Amino acid sequence: MSEFQRFLAKRLAISILLTLVAVSVIFVVLRLLPGSPFESLVTAGNLSQQQITEIRAMYGLDQPMWRQYLSYLQSILLFQFGYSILRSQPVWGVLAPRLVNTLILLVPALVTTAVLSSLLGMYVGWNRGSKLEKLSIIATTFLRSTPVFITGILFVIIFAYNLELVPAFGMRSISASPEGYVETFASLDFLHHYILPFTVSVLYYSGDFLLLARNGVVEKRGSEFLKLHRAKGLSEMQQLARAGRNSMLPILTYFALRLGMIFQGLILLEVVFGWPGIGRELVLAIQQQDYPLVQAAVFIMALAVIVANLVADVLYAYFDPTVSTSGGGAA
Amino acid sequence: MSLLDITDLTVTYSTDSGTVHAVNDVSFSIDEGVNYGLAGESGSGKSTLAEAVLGLLPSNGSVESGSIEFQGRDLTGLSERERRDVLWEDIAYIPQSAMDSLDPVMSTGAQIRQAIQTHRNVTDDKARARVRELFEIVGLDPDRIDDYPHEFSGGMRQRVTIAMALALEPDLIIADEPTTGLDVIVQDKIIDKILEIQDRMDSSLLLITHEIGVIAETCDELSILYGGKAMEQGSVDNVLVNPTNPYTMGLKNSFPEIEEGDQDPVSIPGSPPNLSESPSACVFKDRCPFATEECEASHPDLVDLPNRNHRSACHHVTKAAQMRRDATDPETWGIPDSHDESDRGEVLLETDGLEKYYEQSQPLLEQLRGNDPNYVRAVDGVSLRVRRSEILGIAGESGCGKSTLGETIALLKQPTGGEFVFDGEPYEHYADGNMREFRRKVQIIFQDPFDSLNPRQTVRQLVGEPLTIHDYRTEERERAIIETLEKVGLTPARKFLDQYPHQLSGGQRQRVAVAKALVLDPDFLICDEPASMLDVSLKVNLLNLLRELADTEDIGIVYISHDLASLVQVSDRLAIMYLGRVIEEGDVESIAAEPKHPYTTSLLAAAPEKDPTVDRDRVLLDGEPPDPVDLPSGCVFAPRCPKAEDECRESEPGLDTVRSGEHRAACYFPDGETPAADDLADDRSGTYGDPEFSSPASGDSASD
Ligand SMILES: Nc1ncnc2c1ncn2[C@@H]1O[C@H](COP(=O)(O)OP(=O)(O)OP(=O)(O)O)[C@@H](O)[C@H]1O
Ligand code: SF4
Ligand code: SF4
Ligand SMILES: [Mg+2]
Repeated sequence: MSEFQRFLAKRLAISILLTLVAVSVIFVVLRLLPGSPFESLVTAGNLSQQQITEIRAMYGLDQPMWRQYLSYLQSILLFQFGYSILRSQPVWGVLAPRLVNTLILLVPALVTTAVLSSLLGMYVGWNRGSKLEKLSIIATTFLRSTPVFITGILFVIIFAYNLELVPAFGMRSISASPEGYVETFASLDFLHHYILPFTVSVLYYSGDFLLLARNGVVEKRGSEFLKLHRAKGLSEMQQLARAGRNSMLPILTYFALRLGMIFQGLILLEVVFGWPGIGRELVLAIQQQDYPLVQAAVFIMALAVIVANLVADVLYAYFDPTVSTSGGGAA
Repeated sequence: MSLLDITDLTVTYSTDSGTVHAVNDVSFSIDEGVNYGLAGESGSGKSTLAEAVLGLLPSNGSVESGSIEFQGRDLTGLSERERRDVLWEDIAYIPQSAMDSLDPVMSTGAQIRQAIQTHRNVTDDKARARVRELFEIVGLDPDRIDDYPHEFSGGMRQRVTIAMALALEPDLIIADEPTTGLDVIVQDKIIDKILEIQDRMDSSLLLITHEIGVIAETCDELSILYGGKAMEQGSVDNVLVNPTNPYTMGLKNSFPEIEEGDQDPVSIPGSPPNLSESPSACVFKDRCPFATEECEASHPDLVDLPNRNHRSACHHVTKAAQMRRDATDPETWGIPDSHDESDRGEVLLETDGLEKYYEQSQPLLEQLRGNDPNYVRAVDGVSLRVRRSEILGIAGESGCGKSTLGETIALLKQPTGGEFVFDGEPYEHYADGNMREFRRKVQIIFQDPFDSLNPRQTVRQLVGEPLTIHDYRTEERERAIIETLEKVGLTPARKFLDQYPHQLSGGQRQRVAVAKALVLDPDFLICDEPASMLDVSLKVNLLNLLRELADTEDIGIVYISHDLASLVQVSDRLAIMYLGRVIEEGDVESIAAEPKHPYTTSLLAAAPEKDPTVDRDRVLLDGEPPDPVDLPSGCVFAPRCPKAEDECRESEPGLDTVRSGEHRAACYFPDGETPAADDLADDRSGTYGDPEFSSPASGDSASD
């Protein structure tokens, strides 16, 4: 297994390097942006020049750039994101609940769609040329290519306004004031709010998985090894399972990558459904030039993508017996 | 009662361009314990027939009529479920292409276990034990049952499929070209293994192949298919010794035999029949030299020949003896007999100690440490000479460096050492700005001529392209193209000029590929396995064409192949390669008659014999060639050599170690020479190595 360990070490090193690059890019970009968060406060006459200098000192903004960079690196890599400038609250305290809200919506949606659409994709790939195949491809392609807020609005109009089955907006009803995650999520009220955005995101993600799985199976269908499986007396379903297993790799990889991107939230969806997720929070923070908040959010998102890439690589190497773990390939 | 009874089987495929009548009214039966052969050229319907028996026809194929009775049950009428129970339990299958017949993401052992557990209710442990046993039977290391297919070589994968076929001791094994694409030596070992096991288990075998020689050696009865029709069938001794059908005669003639090296192989000109309609005339009539009006009117029925297990479908069976005599004469088939030994001319190409090493990729850390990389010595000190009008054959197992040598002398790869002289000028001359001239004078024809033709270009464009590139004879372009087409036998040339590759038959396409190489009037031609994908008759056509070109156009040819029989046919001189070295070199006749190096002897002995009456000692050469990176000291062949002595392991024999005239070999104890003192004589004949398939060293933990 030492070859695998070497491979792992290499990938890990690459990931760490990428993280450093990403963190530095965030730092530079944010400093390059014109204006500062205090300007609006100053122009509003709420702060005196004296106070500003003090606050700047408190945030370390009076230090030379490289010192700022170093202390920035140190704290961000230790996950100490500091205080939100505008909310005077620890950044992590602002971000964590939003992130959890996003993940609790999108992770189950992604898992559900990955399983269901892939199975459906394999099935229609096996029964190539069937009506179901055409229908499912058209439907998922449509869902994939229309912006998610249009589907979202459509669903809201139908299910919330016309049928009045579910609420249109938010994560809990306005009257609810739950404490802590358990109380927030373990309730019927939450479920009621959850169903609609969940369904929309399931549909939104379904197309890619369906096509990946279908194409994989179609490609494998005429292969020699399936013929031998058939000759051995395997049933149709067992053969399909082998064809499916042989087309798993791209699906798995794609799943891992998608999982990384979920940390960015689905901004449009969060806006349409008034879901207090991380995507919405980031947009707000950028508007308000809340540096620490933006920094932290972007860092988390970048980190998630990098880790997901790493996981995808490792999964690939692990599940594909033929992949040479020592081989090169793009990082 | 016979085991398998096929009666009037007709199978068709429906395609966009109409129906393909792949198998037409074929009947035969296989008795218990009998080896049955099915031969015929590519497209004759062999695989289709096998797939029909197994119920594995693709979705566009269907059994139109006829019955397939297995142990009294009609297989065509079975439900999907019933058929699954018959498959593998009673009829097992060894597929045509072992390379991709195994599930890449499932360990080989698990695939065999799956076959067992689908049909038998046994525990995992028992099934595993059985798999180990099977691995042992087919000569694989039982400790490797958890390895994945890609960790095995082609020959080993084929053994895995054989192990799988044996798992449930079926009554019938259908083997579809189990050895095509493998080297002669591996092929021979595999066939030997199948026979040995099948003998022990007493099951029947349906062996499909286009190599008549393999059938002659292994089968009791056979059917010869052409255009989906059984042309001749019966016992192997009758059919192959005294064929009565012109097609069988042609097929047999086109199978080159090493002993008759100087006799031109006679091929069947023309291309396979059009299968878009069910046959109304004799399917073979377009290519048959004996065709008459009667043949036009109807396809002949199979008739029993008196007193023998022998049936033939030909309107003229009664004239079989006469036809047989005529069939050996190339002129009967419309092939001009052109065998005038022309004098060989001046030396065109000469290499001395030519080397091509590849650096092995190294881990990053090693590179940082600055360790010297390992080298794969693909070509290791090869000295050759090729004269004008001479064909030099280069033979060897896969991986011995043949292709690298070809590409290096074509200067497609830079030599890493040694001398190279072409047409009196050294390598440096060409590397120094004269490569264009070299590229015109030296042409190379690759493995698969079919793929190398752009389907969207006409023959005129295809053949004319090199002229444009090299600005050669551009003012008389059309003439150059027509001349070349005629040279390669595409006459009348005008007819072909505007055709696209898909409108040509396989043989014609291949000639276009050759024409592309010849249009620049090269002095030197390098052919790398140009015929490996072709069936016998197309192959023979190509060999004859090359021979003719060498004789009439004064060009030198290097022909690279693992197929020793074709090489013996076409070449003037042979060089046998092993692990990047030439280990024997000399005139074809003298090598074929008296091989000196033990490796050559085993290569020659591995080639199958088409005459069923000749008994041949099968060669079972041990193991596979050693790793070219980490070569043994001394003679590189020593680890597999049955005659290796201590002396062999001490220092490497040079090519001049044995020498008689032009014939040289690198061996201390050559074959065919009575050793002075040591008594090696009885080691010479018989089988090499372990008669049981030798398995790779497996240590003590082999059994559990
Ligand atoms: N799936 C298919 N659809 C349409 N035509 C087919 C199909 N498979 C085979 N054929 C045609 O059926 C005929 C018989 O093919 P088959 O594969 O049985 O030949 P074969 O004798 O096994 O040849 P080979 O020696 O090349 O394996 C050929 O003309 C081929 O083109
Ligand atoms: S029937 Fe006629 S065409 Fe057919 S094989 Fe016999 S002689 Fe030839
Ligand atoms: S030199 Fe020795 S080991 Fe090498 S081929 Fe001759 S007998 Fe065999
Ligand atoms: Mg076939």
